[in-house]
Amino acid sequence: MPELRKDPIIGRWVIISTERGKRPSSFQTPEKKSTGGFCPLCPGNEDKTPPEVFAYRPFDSPPNTPGWSLRVVPNKFPALRIEGELDRRGEGIYDKMNGVGAHEVIIECPDHDETLSSVPTSNFEKVLLTYRSRINELYKDTRFKYISIFRNQGEVAGASLAHPHSQLIALPVVPKRLMEELDGAKGYFNYKERCVYCDIIKQEKKQDVRIISENQEFLSIVPFASRFPFEIWIFPRQHNSSFEETPEWKYTFLAEIFSDVLKRLDMALANPPYNFMLHTSPVSEKINDYYHWHFEIIPRLTRVAGFEWGSGFYINPTAPEDAAKFLR
Amino acid sequence: MSKILVVEDEKNVRLLYKEELQDLGYEVIQASNGGEAVEKFDIHRPDLIILDIQLAGLNGIETMNIIRKKSRDVPIILCTAYGEYKRDIRTWASDAYITKSADLKELLSIVKKILAI
Repeated sequence: MPELRKDPIIGRWVIISTERGKRPSSFQTPEKKSTGGFCPLCPGNEDKTPPEVFAYRPFDSPPNTPGWSLRVVPNKFPALRIEGELDRRGEGIYDKMNGVGAHEVIIECPDHDETLSSVPTSNFEKVLLTYRSRINELYKDTRFKYISIFRNQGEVAGASLAHPHSQLIALPVVPKRLMEELDGAKGYFNYKERCVYCDIIKQEKKQDVRIISENQEFLSIVPFASRFPFEIWIFPRQHNSSFEETPEWKYTFLAEIFSDVLKRLDMALANPPYNFMLHTSPVSEKINDYYHWHFEIIPRLTRVAGFEWGSGFYINPTAPEDAAKFLR
Repeated sequence: MSKILVVEDEKNVRLLYKEELQDLGYEVIQASNGGEAVEKFDIHRPDLIILDIQLAGLNGIETMNIIRKKSRDVPIILCTAYGEYKRDIRTWASDAYITKSADLKELLSIVKKILAI
């Protein structure tokens, strides 16, 4: 019997269509790896990118030359522009503003054929610390209200280039998706005086059917009302509302669990395409009692079609409990 | 006189580019697809390439990849009527990316800027 499940944070319903009972092997569609071609992110091609804004490189190695182990560069053809004022205005009932923002690319390692799941954990930690460093730097600009960090792995997930990279977009507004989570979390807190995510963690630990892995500081689960098969969330175990305010020593544990989870996905689903996104509190309410930062990982195994677009419902053919069992 | 290779599958657009660029004093070589562009690149070694992305057969990005293996420095301006390529990091191998428009002001100003360097 299919089951309707409600997400306790934003109240979104999903259909867990257990009859379809899809196992990991039903989703395995080996990704075509694009080979050859000119890669503007590879060492030696630094002149094809805009000048770097951050890099891990030896002390004596000049910027924008080879020798780096990680580089951050502004997007060469950005969706939003860094220059100018917002100039918020209305036209009747319609609101608009100038397309101001920052769009950066984090080149995670020099090796074109590496993947984030295969880099050593210490390199993974560098990537996460770079996210933190760029967020803190960009928030010095008061035009930015939210910084979205995301990664597309594989062509199906939107990666046009195989060279390992993630992206950051600093926005002059808080995205609607995050507002829904913040509002849901605030509503729950006002009613129960507890963080909804902390309660989820407590219940998941008690039930122990959707947990994939945990370490001293972090926990990974397949959420109860997963929209997609093998969707994964990674949370800090203790309440923490802001990714960038997390103490530096905890990033070692985050890198460890994150790398482990990606390896498990690769094993279970044969290197699936995926997206991951950071969800954290906006700069205006960084430290709070109601929101809990986390990463969401969405393997791209099913297509979102008319029903999902039209209704906001998602049909998930794999029960989260089964997905967790496969990934454990 | 600087040589410009114009790669564009629509004949009218190609001729428009040719006339405007010749008026500015440039020599113009034309190609209507990616394969022809690679051949003409080898023969003429242009100083600049204006390359449409949406081409039959080899598309503009694939064509650019082949040309980049032969020369990493020849300036390339990518042109497209579609915004979706803006998110494609492979376009970074080019020197400029413009959205096609009937008004060639932007294209011509980029051409002048690149060839003045």
